[in-house]
Amino acid sequence: MIWDNLLLAFAAIGNWQTILLMITGVGVGLLAGSIPGFTIAMAVVLTLPFTFSMPPEQGLATMISVLVGGLSGGLMSGILTGIPGTPSSVATTFDGFPLARKGEPGFALGLGVWSSFFGGMISAVMLVLFAPQLARVGLEFQPWDFFMLVIFALTVTASLAGENLVKGLIAGALGLLIRTVGEDEAVGVGRFDFGSDYLLSGFDFIAVLIGLFAFSQLLSDVRDPTKATQALTQQRKMQIRIEHRRALIELWKRKLVVLRSALIGMFTGILPGAGGSIANILAYDQAKKSSKTPDEFGKGNPEGVIAPETSNNAVEGGALTPLISLGIPGDVTAAIMLGALLIHDIVPGPTFIQEEPALVYSIFIAFFAANFIMLGMQSGMLRVFVLVTRIRMYMLASVILGLATIGVFALNNAFDDVWTLFWFGILGFVMRQLGFPLAPMILGVVLGNIAELNLSRALAIDTDLTLFVTRPWAMFFAIIAVFSAAFPWYQSQRMKGAGWTRFYAPAMLLCVALPLSLMDGWFRTALSGVAVLTACYLVWRATRTAPSTT
Amino acid sequence: MAINRDTLTAICLLLVCGGLFWASLDIREPDYGQLSPATWPRVILGVFGFLSLIYLAQSLRQGADAPNPDAPTDLTSFIAYWRNVIWCFVLFGAYLLAIPYVGMLAGGVAFVFALLTALGGWSRTPIHVAVALVSVGGMWLLFTHALGVILPRGEWTGF
Repeated sequence: MIWDNLLLAFAAIGNWQTILLMITGVGVGLLAGSIPGFTIAMAVVLTLPFTFSMPPEQGLATMISVLVGGLSGGLMSGILTGIPGTPSSVATTFDGFPLARKGEPGFALGLGVWSSFFGGMISAVMLVLFAPQLARVGLEFQPWDFFMLVIFALTVTASLAGENLVKGLIAGALGLLIRTVGEDEAVGVGRFDFGSDYLLSGFDFIAVLIGLFAFSQLLSDVRDPTKATQALTQQRKMQIRIEHRRALIELWKRKLVVLRSALIGMFTGILPGAGGSIANILAYDQAKKSSKTPDEFGKGNPEGVIAPETSNNAVEGGALTPLISLGIPGDVTAAIMLGALLIHDIVPGPTFIQEEPALVYSIFIAFFAANFIMLGMQSGMLRVFVLVTRIRMYMLASVILGLATIGVFALNNAFDDVWTLFWFGILGFVMRQLGFPLAPMILGVVLGNIAELNLSRALAIDTDLTLFVTRPWAMFFAIIAVFSAAFPWYQSQRMKGAGWTRFYAPAMLLCVALPLSLMDGWFRTALSGVAVLTACYLVWRATRTAPSTT
Repeated sequence: MAINRDTLTAICLLLVCGGLFWASLDIREPDYGQLSPATWPRVILGVFGFLSLIYLAQSLRQGADAPNPDAPTDLTSFIAYWRNVIWCFVLFGAYLLAIPYVGMLAGGVAFVFALLTALGGWSRTPIHVAVALVSVGGMWLLFTHALGVILPRGEWTGF
């Protein structure tokens, strides 16, 4: 069965056009990733209009290539110039740049390139292994559970995306609200159209995404007239050879760091809203804490390059896992992937792997292949990356705004979509300036229909509202949604040394144990027991240590 | 009680919320379907309004905005501060309004050139012309001939 699916997938993407598109995609991603201010999500969302005329397998393979390239592109400028190309390579600069300044740029780049490769490969393997298992679990979900899963995804994104939870939640609610404009999908009644045909047809959500994310980001990048006209670096020539062999030997010596960082990246990716920007810092922090020489960090320690670069490339395997198995994107880029699928009338869910095996397996293959292409291209295109960092931001912004218009129009051959791009560009820019995170809003726009559809289905089956919190899976998601919403508050209180924070984790474990114990199967009952025991142990340990303040 | 930027934002959000709730009363109620088309938007608006109230309370507690020496104080400095962003919005808006008359190709080239010049000055005009022609022209060719998309033609230009 697996071999049949693999053969189908190879037949779908194993042609020279797709391979060429993937090489181009990785190249574009690497270039985009190496330009500070140009995010990976922006590169992926701008690629989307080009893929609409392609078969879904080819389109997805191209977008995955851009994504994989983008995840790795940030390390080049980070290591060579000290300016991270993307937020997911911020921690790479902490040790990568000092290592390069110590006269070992080739070694630093080698570490970065190979760490990215191994991070991507480990996460690809885990995606292949985990996605079908999670999909099997997803088959148990009923509309109540899906609705609560969406609420959980929005809550956790809001709590992780910004400094202010309330602003994150408002952004998420605004995203949901935007999706209600136009005809109601269930019964076709117009909502918030104010008599306008434009509003009645609703906003194309890809145009909304490009407006919110790309347009508003470009405006922020050119706000300062001086910075907008300056080249990011003045470097003209670079004679560096990437030290592959030495880097590989170093990685072998520190294989535990590689594995741990890949796991951190993978699980951060699975969590909705948490992406590479969080994973690279977390992995760096863990590497520093578990190192025998933590004082060496920040001065060019190889582990300080390995950990963030492995984890940020492992993120996307994690983010694609819930998308493929449940239809819920793990981050903004996975949300854009969902958009690409919806363009082709493919709605992912727990039966996605069974119904579209060729497409799912081509995503898996593309993910593996893109990592190999990235490895080859990153080594050979070093000079191009250095040249790219000399581009002036205003030129990039002007050209991209012009091209985005053509791309957005091409989505549906609708001029209204271009206006949507404009209005949401303004909205996104204003929201950025006011400190509202855009990730929850984007997830709200993407998940709005899924939430409403499942709410409608749930109420059609049974009007009992208590089912949203009493069914085991729905209860499970409700509990973790509450705890994730309280997480920023818990963190701030913990920093202040509040005594009750020692009971936060045990309380969560105890609460989660309840729905687990209500689920079928011995494994979940056992898991519930483990959660209770762990909670008891944590309570016992917390009561033994005196609180610093109360 | 000092009003700050967040307070004004929260008040705006509450007004939007109230306005949309009012508009939700106009949503037609069909005789079929379990969930009324107005229910879901009203649920969201309820949550949105509640969160906006919390945001308002938070903003009132935090007091006046900290003085920012870079922040514009009058209209002239406001325009100077946001000059590039205003150029982007104005030129993009003008471009969209012009497309039905001049088409996407001519309009796109003109827009990219105008924006490059507005943001980067007149000193690199030949480069700006080349960049505008190559980027928009190349994209137009790609979409029109390779992807088969019929991009908007201009009423005046015919292409």
